[in-house]
Amino acid sequence: MTVKLLITAFCNAALAILLYIAERKTSLKKMPYMAKQFIIGVLFGLVAVYSSTSVGGVELNGAIVNVRDASPLCAGLIFGAPAGIISGLIGGVFRYIATFLGITGTYTQLACSVSTILVGFIAAALRKFMFDDKKPTWIYGVGIAIVCEIMHMLMIFFTNMNDVTTAFGFVENCTLPMVLGNSIAVGIAIGMVSLLSKEKNTNNKGQKQISQTFQFWLLVCIVLAFAATSIFTSVLQTRVSQTEAESVIKTNLNDVYQDVMDASDENLLSKTTKIRDEYLSGEDVKTLAEKYNVIEVNIIDTNGIITDTNNDEYIGYDMTSGDQSAEFLVLLKGEVQEYIQDYRPTSYDNKTYRKYGGMILPDGGFLQVGYDARQFGADVNTFVVKSVKNRHIGNSGFIIVCDEQLKIISDDSNQNGKDLSAIGMPVNRENTSPGAIFETDINGTPHLCAYHFVEGYYIIGTMPTEEAMYMKTLSGYVNMFSEMIVFAALFVLIYFLIKEIIIKNIQKINISLAQITNGNLDVKVEVRSNEEFASLSDDINSTVTTLKSYIAEAAARIDKELEFAKQIQYSSLPTAFPERYEFELYAKMITAKEVGGDFYDFYMINDHTVAFLIADVSGKGIPAAMFMMKAKAIIKGLAESGLEPDEIFTKANTSLCENNEAGMFVTAWLGILDLSTGLLKFANAGHNPPLICKGNEKFEYLKARSGMILAGMEGIRYRKNEIRLSPGDRICLYTDGVTEATTTDNVLYGEQRLLDFVNTVGAANPKELCERIEEDVNLFAGDAPQFDDITMLGLTYRCVFGEYMISVIPNNESHTVVDLFAEQIASKLLLVPKIANKIHIIFDEIYANIVSYSKATSATISYDITDEKLHLIFSDNGIAYDPLGASEPDITLSAEERQIGGLGIFIVKKMAENVEYTREDERNVLRITLALTQN
Amino acid sequence: MTIEKKSSGTELLMAISGRMDTSTAPQFEAELKSSLDGVEKLVLDFENLEYVSSAGLRVILAAQKIMNKQGKMVIKNVGEVIAEVFEITGFVDILTIE
Repeated sequence: MTVKLLITAFCNAALAILLYIAERKTSLKKMPYMAKQFIIGVLFGLVAVYSSTSVGGVELNGAIVNVRDASPLCAGLIFGAPAGIISGLIGGVFRYIATFLGITGTYTQLACSVSTILVGFIAAALRKFMFDDKKPTWIYGVGIAIVCEIMHMLMIFFTNMNDVTTAFGFVENCTLPMVLGNSIAVGIAIGMVSLLSKEKNTNNKGQKQISQTFQFWLLVCIVLAFAATSIFTSVLQTRVSQTEAESVIKTNLNDVYQDVMDASDENLLSKTTKIRDEYLSGEDVKTLAEKYNVIEVNIIDTNGIITDTNNDEYIGYDMTSGDQSAEFLVLLKGEVQEYIQDYRPTSYDNKTYRKYGGMILPDGGFLQVGYDARQFGADVNTFVVKSVKNRHIGNSGFIIVCDEQLKIISDDSNQNGKDLSAIGMPVNRENTSPGAIFETDINGTPHLCAYHFVEGYYIIGTMPTEEAMYMKTLSGYVNMFSEMIVFAALFVLIYFLIKEIIIKNIQKINISLAQITNGNLDVKVEVRSNEEFASLSDDINSTVTTLKSYIAEAAARIDKELEFAKQIQYSSLPTAFPERYEFELYAKMITAKEVGGDFYDFYMINDHTVAFLIADVSGKGIPAAMFMMKAKAIIKGLAESGLEPDEIFTKANTSLCENNEAGMFVTAWLGILDLSTGLLKFANAGHNPPLICKGNEKFEYLKARSGMILAGMEGIRYRKNEIRLSPGDRICLYTDGVTEATTTDNVLYGEQRLLDFVNTVGAANPKELCERIEEDVNLFAGDAPQFDDITMLGLTYRCVFGEYMISVIPNNESHTVVDLFAEQIASKLLLVPKIANKIHIIFDEIYANIVSYSKATSATISYDITDEKLHLIFSDNGIAYDPLGASEPDITLSAEERQIGGLGIFIVKKMAENVEYTREDERNVLRITLALTQN
Repeated sequence: MTIEKKSSGTELLMAISGRMDTSTAPQFEAELKSSLDGVEKLVLDFENLEYVSSAGLRVILAAQKIMNKQGKMVIKNVGEVIAEVFEITGFVDILTIE
C-alpha cells in the first residue's frame, strides 16, 4: 500500500519536472500564458484521475486511499493559479462521476469531489495572494497539503453528519495515509523542481526578510496554540468521557443492586411469612429451619430476649446487645409488622454474614428468620441471572455477577462457574472499594469496571475503554481537524494582513527611500494607510526636507568657492591688451556657470614678436581649472624661451603627459607673429580652426592640418605652419563654446553660422568683432543656459614695422607709426636735429598726400643709405598720381592771396637732393634722395 | 605738440613746443580759433618747436589772415629748419618774424 501510494505520489513530481523542463526548453515557452496553463492543468488533472482509481490508489475498507489532491496542489503552486483550478476541477468532477461508474465508493463521493475542486482553488489563491505568484518552498507545499487533506477529512464528516460512526471509520483509516501521501507528493514535486531550477537562497546577506521571520514565529505560535488547545481538549474530553462512562456503569450497577435487594427481600419475606404461619400452627422451630433450609429461626419475646431457637446457643441472647440485632426491636414497638435486614455480619459474631427477616407474633414478640448467602443464592440466583443477563452498559459493556467466592454466576459469554480471575479480572474487596472505577483487561481488551457487593453477590459493571473513549476520540479528531483548518486559515489571514498592512507599506517606503538615496530629494513618502505609517512618512519627509536645505546650504558654499576659483582662474588671464601700432589684440572669455577650462593668452616674446594662444581643457570644475593653469604656465614658459610653435607644443605635450593620471587633455592653437615681417608661425593641437581675413577679402577658416591634442599621448610631434600677414589682415580665434552654443531646442550654433556672421558684421576692430560674436551667440542661444565657456581672441595686423621698411594702411591713425619710423631712421643714423627734422617734414608731406588723395589701401616706406645719402622710397597702391607734375605754387603772393595746395611737395623738392616719380606694378613710387651731410 | 598760452590785455602769447605737422596742426588750429577773439597782438614763440610742415603752414597762414584784420601777429625764436621752410615757401615775406 505504501509503495503504491508513493509511486503515484512520484507521478506528480515526475510530471512537474517534465513540464518545468518543457516550459524552458521547448515550444511550450512561446505559448500564450493561458494556453500553457490549460495544458498543465489538464495534464495534472489526468494524474488526479489516475490517482482516484484503484490503479493509482489503495483500497482500504471500501474507500480508495489516494493522493488525488496532490495534483491540483502541484499544478497550482508550481505552475500557476489557472492550472491549479483546472486540474482540481478535472480531478473533482472525475471523482464524482467515478462513483456512478462503480470505480469508487458512494460514501465519500461528495466530500472527495468537492475537496479536490476546493484544493485547486486554494492552491490558486495561495499562489496568487500569499506567494506573489511564485512557487513556494517545499515546506510550505507540505504544510498546505496536510491542511488540505485535513479539510478533506472534515468534509467526510460534514457530508455524513447522520452517520458519524461510519464517517469516523473512514477518517480514522484514511487520515494518516492520505495526509502523508499527499504531502510527500507535493513536497517532492516542489523540492525536485526547486533543485532543478538551482534555486539559491537569494538572501545571501544572511538577513531574513520580515515576512520570513514573521512567518516563522507566527507558525511557532500557531503550532503551540494548536498543541495547547489539542492537549487541553483531549484531557478535558478524556475526563468527560470517563465521568460519563462511570456514571453509565454506576447507574447500571445501582439498578442491578436494587433488583437483587428487592428480589432477596421478597424471597426472605415470603419464607418468613410461611415459617411464622407454620410456627403459629404449632410446628417446631428446628423442624421449620430444616424444612425451609434456613440457618436460623429465632423466637424473641417482648423483652427482646431469644426464647426459642433452632440453635441452642442463642437461647437468652439479648437483642439489644448488638447494633445489627437491635434494629429488629422496632417490631416490639408495634410500628411495623415486618422487618428485613440486608446481608451483613451478625452482632453475635461479626465474622458470620447473615440476612435476617422478622415478623411480629400475635401474642407479642416476633419471629426472626436468618440465612446465609449459600441458602440465599440457591433461591435468588435464577432471578439475578435473569435480571442481569440482557443488560448492557453502553453498546458493548456488560455485567458480571459472582458469588462470595468470586465464582462467576453470570456474564455475557457463559463463563459460569469459572473463577473471576479466569477472564483476567482481579476483584478484591480489600483492595478496591465498591463503586470505584478501575481499569482492567477483560479477555485481553481494556475495560472500565466498577463493582458492588450485595447480598453475597459481586456485581461487576464493565465497559470497553475504547467505547468509553469513543466520543473523546471522535470529538478529538473533529476538534483537531477543525483547529488545524482554523489555525491554518488564521495563519494565512494574519500573514496576509501583515503583508498588506506592514510589509507592503515598508516596501513602498523603501522604494521611495531608494529614489531619495539615488539623489531625487523631491520624492515624497506617502504611505497613509494608518497612523503609524503616516507619521513615519511625515518624519522621513521632514528629514529629507531638512537634508535638502542642508545640501542647498552646502551647495551654496561650494558654489561660492567655485566662484572664487573661477575668479582666480579668470584673473590669471591677461586683460591689459598691448598698445602697439603694429597690431591690435582683444580677447574675451565669458565663463559658464561652472568652472571651465578655457583660456587665452598673449605676450610679447621680444620687441617685435607677439605670441597669442587660445585653448580649451577637457572637462569642467576645479580639475580642469588647475590643469588649465598648468598648461598656460608651461606654454608661456616655452614660448618666452623663443621656441617655435611646433616645438612649444611638442615639449608642452611631454610635460603635460607627465603625472596626468586624471587623463585630462587640452586643445590649443598658438600663433607667433613677427611684427617686422608679418610672418605668422602657428601650430594647432586639436583646436577649432581660426577665422582669417586677408587682404580685405572675406573671412575663411584657416584650415591647416591639426595635430593631436595636448596631454593626450606622449611623444607626439607637432607640425609648424606659416602664413604671411599683411597690414589689415585679421585673425579670430575661438573655442567650441562659440560653435557649440545651443538653443533650447538643442540646435548648434555651428561653424557656418559663425563664418557667415563675421563676414556680414563689419566690425572695425578685434574688440568689436569679439563683442558682436558674443551678442550673436547670446541671441542665438536665447534662454538656453550656457554650458561651456565662450572664449574669443581677435587680432588685427596693422603694420609691418621693419628695420628698413614699414608697411601700413594709409589712414589718419597711421601718421604716428610713420613718424615713429622716421624717428627710428634718425636715431639709427645719429643724425643732427636739422637733418632729422627735414626727414620728418619729408615723411609728413609725402605720407599726408598718400592718405588724403591716393585712396590706397597699402603704403610702404623703405630706405637705404649710399655715399652719405639717404634714399627714401614711398610706394602706394592708390590711383596713379605724379606729384611732380603739378605746377609749383606762387610763393610771392600776399597772405590773403596765397593758396596752400602744392606747398608740401614743393618743400620736399626744395629740401631733397632729388625727387623721382614712377608708376610700377600699379603702384605710385616716389624716390627721394637726401644728403646727410651739412651743407 | 604742446601749447602754452599767456594773455595780457589784448596781447596773447602762445609758446609752442614739439612738432607741427599733419597730426598736430588741427590741434593748433582749434586752439587759435578759440583764443583769438579780441586779441590785437598775437605772439607765437617757436623756441621749442622742432619743425613745421605744410599742414602747419596752412594754420599759420590762417592765423596771419585773421590777425591782419584784428591787429598783428609776431613769430619769434624761429629755429634753423623752420626758417628754411619759411624761406622756401616765401612765408618770410608774409609773416613778421622777430
